[in-house]
Amino acid sequence: MQITEHKEGALTVAALDGRLDTATAPATEEKLVALLEGGGVVADMSGVRYVSSAGLRVLLKAAKQARTKGVPFSVCGLQPAVQEVFEISGFDKIIPSHPTRAAALAGG
Amino acid sequence: MQGPESDIAAMRHEMPPAVEAVPALLDQLEAFAEANALSPRNAQHLVLVAEELAANVAMHATGATRLLVEVRREGPALNLLVEDDGPAFDPLSAAAPDLASGVEERDLGGLGVHFLRTLARSVSYERRGGLNRVTALLDAG
Repeated sequence: MQITEHKEGALTVAALDGRLDTATAPATEEKLVALLEGGGVVADMSGVRYVSSAGLRVLLKAAKQARTKGVPFSVCGLQPAVQEVFEISGFDKIIPSHPTRAAALAGG
Repeated sequence: MQGPESDIAAMRHEMPPAVEAVPALLDQLEAFAEANALSPRNAQHLVLVAEELAANVAMHATGATRLLVEVRREGPALNLLVEDDGPAFDPLSAAAPDLASGVEERDLGGLGVHFLRTLARSVSYERRGGLNRVTALLDAG
């Protein structure tokens, strides 16, 4: 899992690239939690072809952390297979998801 | 492994029951899916279910020394077998998550078994010869 980050105003865009699975979940979680210390985060998932339950737990932890801190957290660019995983798990209802990075930045 | 034109193809992957060994399993499952020309959706389901079962053993089965993942394509179905020599444990016994709760209440666990129940046509568990054997039937094609 490669994560590249850059600031867009008050938000940090974290572009994830690779599989978000059992093996990559811990480092991804550490990174997202650290980025949330600096404000809201948009996780750009357009480079993520696979998310397992371990990966979903990372996103849920990030969402919880953002809620605690009072900053926004959203995802964007879900590939169809990842979108399906979101729907099966009910995550489409609890984590704000945008089709594109631009939409995520506009929608917070 | 046989080619995509074959009606029966199989994959066998032995791995240490460790989280670090999971990516190699996923690589091989993806290669199997590609060689068998599975649809992206069915390929994803296979990898998800196999990872859940293997990760479960890697993270929780204290004392397990071996983990075996086998996939056999039989016509329109995939037969997945995950076997380990850890303490007796039925992954289907885990509680289901509450899918309706919001981000604050939503519990972090239970998703793996939810995927297992949702994505597989059928799942069965047996303890035989000191081994846990979980078999799942998934859609090929």
